[in-house]
Amino acid sequence: MMASTSSSRQNSSGPMAPSSSAIRALSLELKSLMEEPLEGIRAKLVNEENLFEWEMAIFGPPDTLYQAGYFKAHMKFPNDYPYSPPTVRFLTKVWHPNVYENGDLCISILHPPVDDPQSGELPCERWNPTQNVRTIMLSVVSLLNEPNTYSPANVDASVMYRRWRDSNGKDKEYENIIKKQVQASRVEAEKDGVIVPTTMEEYIMKPKPRPSFPQDNIDMDDFYDDDCYDMDDEDDCSDDEEYQEDDGEDSGNGES
Amino acid sequence: MSSESPPPAASGDNQDELILAQKEAIAQDIASNASLVGNLEPVYSLEREFSHDAVFMTKIGNLKGRYAELRRTRPDGNCFFRAVAYRYFELLLHRPDEYERIKALLPRAKAQMIELGMPTFTLEDFYDNFMDHVDRVGQAHMDAQQLFETFNEPGQSDYLVVFLRLLTSMQLQRNAEFYQNFMEGDKTVAEFCATEVEPMYNESDHIHITALTEATGISLRVIYLDRGSQTEASLHDFPDQGESAATTPLVHLLYRPGHYDVIYPVKSTSESGPATSNATVTTTAELSS
Repeated sequence: MMASTSSSRQNSSGPMAPSSSAIRALSLELKSLMEEPLEGIRAKLVNEENLFEWEMAIFGPPDTLYQAGYFKAHMKFPNDYPYSPPTVRFLTKVWHPNVYENGDLCISILHPPVDDPQSGELPCERWNPTQNVRTIMLSVVSLLNEPNTYSPANVDASVMYRRWRDSNGKDKEYENIIKKQVQASRVEAEKDGVIVPTTMEEYIMKPKPRPSFPQDNIDMDDFYDDDCYDMDDEDDCSDDEEYQEDDGEDSGNGES
Repeated sequence: MSSESPPPAASGDNQDELILAQKEAIAQDIASNASLVGNLEPVYSLEREFSHDAVFMTKIGNLKGRYAELRRTRPDGNCFFRAVAYRYFELLLHRPDEYERIKALLPRAKAQMIELGMPTFTLEDFYDNFMDHVDRVGQAHMDAQQLFETFNEPGQSDYLVVFLRLLTSMQLQRNAEFYQNFMEGDKTVAEFCATEVEPMYNESDHIHITALTEATGISLRVIYLDRGSQTEASLHDFPDQGESAATTPLVHLLYRPGHYDVIYPVKSTSESGPATSNATVTTTAELSS
């Protein structure tokens, strides 16, 4: 029998072999997300053979600019997960202060807790081994609607967002771009055969297995649990952040 | 530690990646040179490293009367937690009283961690894994050799370390008012836990030791081998017993600036782990040649 050589390595992002803890943690998380999906989120492996690359679908939360949007992203896990964070890259075009041109998402929860004077992130939002796909995705969904303008990945989007926010929505440039992208994403959803929830009731409902996201034969009706971790800490952080930044620089920029 | 900090204006990614790549290279270098947990060595093997230093040599000389052996841990920032965990599991092999005590204590600790808002899903996993190892060792389903192998398997070894970090964080946060006195600047205890306690590879300090020993009830003695002017290495017991140091601590660690190793008092060598004395002799012979 021919042994496969380097191609058997599951993740190219680190030279070390995947650790048993990474496989353990990822298997558990995947199973859990299949059994109790997170509202507004679908997860699957990009390739059944590789536990270290996931495809996520994010439904835009109702009553936000992103309502009815369908955003796909790849999540890549390092070999030493959960000691180091995964990376998230949007496949769908997303115009957002914290998303780079190439789709890479910049969010503090995915950053190692190194002392990093360049970054305005507060330490309490940083990665630690108890963070997981659920906590990440909750942060991502919350970030969509509440960008962090302190250390933007897309400066133009950030400026535009602030104009929109500070004019209480009168300056519609930001809003229009998002709406256009949401519109475009619906074509993708149709192609994937996915019905995107548009009302809050549908959004928080237990998802049914979709053709594009096969979820084994698990009866999802048995599990519904509003598995919402306490996000207060994070919110507090971003508020402080805004506060510190705005203090002195451009006052009168109250967070809504 | 990194002496070359990137220009403050750099927005990002590339600098970050370079720093991370360099850190990873250093970590790999350390990893290829030091086991997570080493074999037993005689205490005098330390003399090799400090032969040029009279202060250290005197202190090591005085240490030899009280301590027989040493077990090195990898200097990866997790050494304190790994050293405590290893030595404690080793003790559980033949301390049914400790096994009963810790078995009763940990479920309460877990409940307190959940109360603090640690993500249940992952916390449960770290807890279950830790408890499973406590049981296996306490019920003799795992022997010293298997324990040694477990601690040298990176994924598993680190899983155990994470749980001790979370325990430490829990203790600090539950007593935040007290520990706030030891914070530098205007850092809150929660922020300290998020940056210095919960994440892997962050070195431990006095405050970590205090919190972990409080949380677990594991008594600990740290022997400080530093450049202080005394002829004896100074020691510190956790929890602080003050004058009435009646009981001998369970776990003994040797501290050299920036690093903790396990150290074994003269008496307890017979019960200490899988390293063969043959291996020890070989090492020593190599050293003296």
